[in-house]
Amino acid sequence: MTGSEKTKRPVQPGRWARTAVLYVVLSAAAIVVLFPFAWMIMTALKQPGTEFDPEFFPKQPTLENLKRVFTEFGFVRYFLNSSIVAVSSALFATLFASLAAYAFAFKNFILKEKVFAVIIASMMVPGLMYVVPQFAIINRLGWMNTYRAMIVPHLANVFGLFLLRQYMTTIPKSLIDAARIDGANDFQVYGRIVVPLALPVVATLFLLTFQFHWSNFLWQLIVTNKESLYTVPVGLSMFKQQHEQLYALKMAASAVSIVPISVIFVFAQRYFIEGVTKGAIKE
Amino acid sequence: MRYLVLAVCVTALLACTCAKEAVKEGVVITVWETYNSEERAVFLELVDRFHEVNSGITIEAVNIPFDGLEPKILTSLATQTAPDVARVDVGFLPKIAVRGALHPLDEYGVESIKDEIRPVALSSCVLDGKTYGMPDQVNGLCLFFNVDLFKAAGLDPETPPETWEEFVEYAKTITDRDKGVFGFGMRNSLWWSLPFIYSFGGDILTPDMSRCALADEGAVAGFQFKVDLYAKHGVEGGAWRSGGIRDDMGFQNGKYAMIFNGPWAVKGLQQAGIDFGVALIPSGPAGHATNVGGNNLVVFSTSEHPREATKFLMFIASRESQAKWANELGQIPVNVLADELIDFDSHPYLGVFMEQMKYAKPRPQIGGYPEIENDVNPEMQAALDGKKPVLAAMKSACEKVGVVLADEEALKASFKE
Repeated sequence: MTGSEKTKRPVQPGRWARTAVLYVVLSAAAIVVLFPFAWMIMTALKQPGTEFDPEFFPKQPTLENLKRVFTEFGFVRYFLNSSIVAVSSALFATLFASLAAYAFAFKNFILKEKVFAVIIASMMVPGLMYVVPQFAIINRLGWMNTYRAMIVPHLANVFGLFLLRQYMTTIPKSLIDAARIDGANDFQVYGRIVVPLALPVVATLFLLTFQFHWSNFLWQLIVTNKESLYTVPVGLSMFKQQHEQLYALKMAASAVSIVPISVIFVFAQRYFIEGVTKGAIKE
Repeated sequence: MRYLVLAVCVTALLACTCAKEAVKEGVVITVWETYNSEERAVFLELVDRFHEVNSGITIEAVNIPFDGLEPKILTSLATQTAPDVARVDVGFLPKIAVRGALHPLDEYGVESIKDEIRPVALSSCVLDGKTYGMPDQVNGLCLFFNVDLFKAAGLDPETPPETWEEFVEYAKTITDRDKGVFGFGMRNSLWWSLPFIYSFGGDILTPDMSRCALADEGAVAGFQFKVDLYAKHGVEGGAWRSGGIRDDMGFQNGKYAMIFNGPWAVKGLQQAGIDFGVALIPSGPAGHATNVGGNNLVVFSTSEHPREATKFLMFIASRESQAKWANELGQIPVNVLADELIDFDSHPYLGVFMEQMKYAKPRPQIGGYPEIENDVNPEMQAALDGKKPVLAAMKSACEKVGVVLADEEALKASFKE
């Protein structure tokens, strides 16, 4: 099919059918993705003890689980903690990654490529390997049971550095040179030219790090020994006890825990999708 | 604008980290526990009582998610930041004890209370003659049966099956494949197979713990019987298969008339409005038998106050504490002197659970027990699936267990040096 055919024949039965098939397939995929979420919400509305009754809609829907999650189980505090940790981690990790990426993309210094290679190579080490040494450092610093312990060790984000540097190298050098000729210093070039141009990728990185920290479990569990510092994932795991799982409560808390990520995603969706495709093509 | 955001964040970050610690006087014992919210309420009451009679000792209880406890303990051991006391699963105790992470409590007077502790529970704390903890919970599997399904099949719920022969008979009467109802639902894992293995006279290891006994006559016969329930008699609903209806869910939904379960399941089933009964696990050629599960309180070797910590452990295991624990939570008291203080009217099933514990047999006290489970379970799965004859599966399981035992010897030798 060529472009000229398209303009000549406005109505194409084949095209209509194709669109219909596309919609059917997409709808089916959407149902597959959304069904577990729907199930989670329905379970959250069931009476405790009836979670496994073979029915989709609860017979006697109740908001009691939701209420108990916030009154009996301290999820207000857990949400506050998670927000503090995830927002500051994501902000600072993105900031540092973009600054470093700027240096690696536009500045010249000794052993630049080698240093970059070493940093990238560190991505090959599985994250779990860092847990004990990082924990030892945090402990010696006396940072146990602080927000710092949950935030600081994750601020150097190699993946983010790589992602942003790769994108920044696609920004025409002439643009940077033009700004320099106009008298802009490095921070001005970074803040006024590079970051705005790289905004989709920066926003993507922010989202990904936010999501990572929002759902991080193991690290936040081991550096805190106080319930007042527990984050949402740690709080959620309290519903799985040795012999029983409090499914209705767990689902109620889980349903609330996805709200921040969903809201941020909806607002940042434009950037996010742009960002994912932008990094892919190098012109 | 950008700098403003930055400044706000930095301030927020600094503000958040300034939480101050209150300084407590006297000895502070930190306890990592994994109780659920009801147990925790009773536990905190016991802590208050302990404080009343022991001024100068403060117990600080930290509630840890059950699944997070073991990684947290292992990390804290690697960095010498373990708490004074933790509540650990009976299967986890030997693993850390052989590595020298626990304080033996014998020198702090546990001898005086040992006679009162339920023997199966106490044995899960003892390793190479030393006592490494005090039990705080002990239980084992029993037979749960659905009263309605029994009645529907014309069986008397007052007389549950007493032997395995009767059990198969009952199960056959109940099984109705058209309705998807089965007499029994079971799990695959070594621990969940132990009632079969023990009641046929088998065991995991030989009594001197030198050799795997799973390929010996008793264990093979017991496990063969388990496999037959599904493959030969057709009375088991395939609950152990991936994608099958799990035993406890099937029991709640009236698909399986009988399952194995423990005291912890009672409340959930009552809440769900199920009419059910509890009986001893049917007896085999070697009589009645069941496995042992539960939790122990342990003192870590890094604790600066092992004497005070032990005092607290003994307080929790005492007759009065255990009577309160049993009466408020419906759990088996670890202290046998507490038995006479139990109100069986409010806990109708507790008597059966306690009776069953008389026939309970603890697992071998070796650090590699979790590895044994990991090695044996796939072999058992293959036998259940009919991919391997039972004897062949048990033999290859034993080969792997042999490796675990050799590793254990090497590990112990390295810690003795």
